[in-house]
Amino acid sequence: MTALRALIRKELLVLFGAPMAYVALTLVVLVTALIFFDHLRIYNQTLFLFASSNMGGFESDTVPDYINLRDTVFFPVMETMGITLIGLIPLVTMRVFAEERARGTDELLMTTALTPGQIVFAKFAVTYLFVTIMMVASFVYPAMAIIEGGIGAQHLASVFVGLTLHSIALASIGLACSAYTSNQLVAAVAGWAVGFVLWDFSWITSFSFVGERTIGFLDAISLHLRYGSFAEGIVNLAHLVYFIALAALAAAIARFSFDWRRVAG
Amino acid sequence: MMEPADAAPRARSGVVVEAKGLTRRFGPHLALDGLDLRIERGEAFGLLGANGAGKTTFIRLVTGFLLPSAGSVTVDGITAVADPSGVSARIGFVAETTRLYPELRVGTFLRFAGGARGLSGPELNARIDAGVARFHLESSLARPLGHLSKGFQQRVNLAQAFLHDPPLMIVDEPTGGLDPLQQEEVRAVLRELRGERTLILCTHDLGEARELTERVAVLFRGRRVAIGPTEEVLSGDDPLELFRGTGRSAA
Repeated sequence: MTALRALIRKELLVLFGAPMAYVALTLVVLVTALIFFDHLRIYNQTLFLFASSNMGGFESDTVPDYINLRDTVFFPVMETMGITLIGLIPLVTMRVFAEERARGTDELLMTTALTPGQIVFAKFAVTYLFVTIMMVASFVYPAMAIIEGGIGAQHLASVFVGLTLHSIALASIGLACSAYTSNQLVAAVAGWAVGFVLWDFSWITSFSFVGERTIGFLDAISLHLRYGSFAEGIVNLAHLVYFIALAALAAAIARFSFDWRRVAG
Repeated sequence: MMEPADAAPRARSGVVVEAKGLTRRFGPHLALDGLDLRIERGEAFGLLGANGAGKTTFIRLVTGFLLPSAGSVTVDGITAVADPSGVSARIGFVAETTRLYPELRVGTFLRFAGGARGLSGPELNARIDAGVARFHLESSLARPLGHLSKGFQQRVNLAQAFLHDPPLMIVDEPTGGLDPLQQEEVRAVLRELRGERTLILCTHDLGEARELTERVAVLFRGRRVAIGPTEEVLSGDDPLELFRGTGRSAA
């Protein structure tokens, strides 16, 4: 336990001691703000168009129901954020294992009392913490849309949980990729590739040759469907299990990299 | 020049390291080919050879970082496969200078290295204090490792390996990339280890081997081409012939 505590402390110091953490944090907040204000601008422009092209504007109920904060700002923001995070999260995870390998410090770690399982646990836990902090920082704008849109606190919580779980899933994928290379760029590209492929399979399920069972399977492993459900305010146990299973699978894959390396060199 | 914190002579202690038919392949490449080797308790043992001879592979097999393709290597009778924590508790490992965390301060790094070996509380503080005194790191404790010279980095590297007072020190190319003064500093520390604990020194510097080891083995393409007392093995007109695999074999 002492060794694990020491490693977690070291991971925190290395993470928050490097500028990359702050760059990633700033980038996420900036990108989220851009996405949010861009959608808000479109919403305001749409409202203005309706108001100016119809006699009486807002007061005459000429603005259709579908022009509202929820559908015009909140959901598109969540959708865009989901995809944007696929691009941003691997920038955080790419160095976690790959840097240790590139520096040769993994050899140092392996001559301590730490087990590979503890090393994986510490690195995953610290990355999850950082990703959660990122989500708290970037959640200000979606939260504003929810509050202003009158969607409710329960929905707010569901969206935050979904956003965080989505990020944790992407972080898990990125960490598993980072565990198999000493090149941070390779780790990032692999994280992006797996993240984008896993995001949405609708492009492949639209082909006629894809069978029902395959479609069912691809839907079951798709990130988008799970994330989208949280964004709609639905907290489903099956979706929670999906994210936990994905994280556990990624941790197991990362753990295996130690055994693989001992054999393959 | 560094002086030992406790210069009193100690009884010869340490561990026995024994390799039997130790073989390691990387795909078609045979890095170690049936190596038989026994390093005695408290012995300062040199592992010599050109780059790619199999020295680092041997070290990685001892520490458990790699698994053997065949054969075994034991530290006091235990293997890193059967009891990885038992082996790691007995080993202090000093890799090349670059293998540190440049963003961490020296004090923080030593605290981490001790903690990662299960030390905590007053015991950890005492060990860090002893390491800092032994390797003269007082003035650098608050500095990031990345800001230190290579010589200082290697001192920190040595200090972290000593924290848990291991009976076996494995030192891989300790003076590579250091200037002559820094090399002498590191060698002075390693000289102090003779007899104090078992030392495995990997090097391709013959002078270093002569100065620091009692016995050496020379590896060539994964095979042991010579083993014996250092002066005996490295005597002759051209000891480098052994590195080329063309010299006479010593018993």
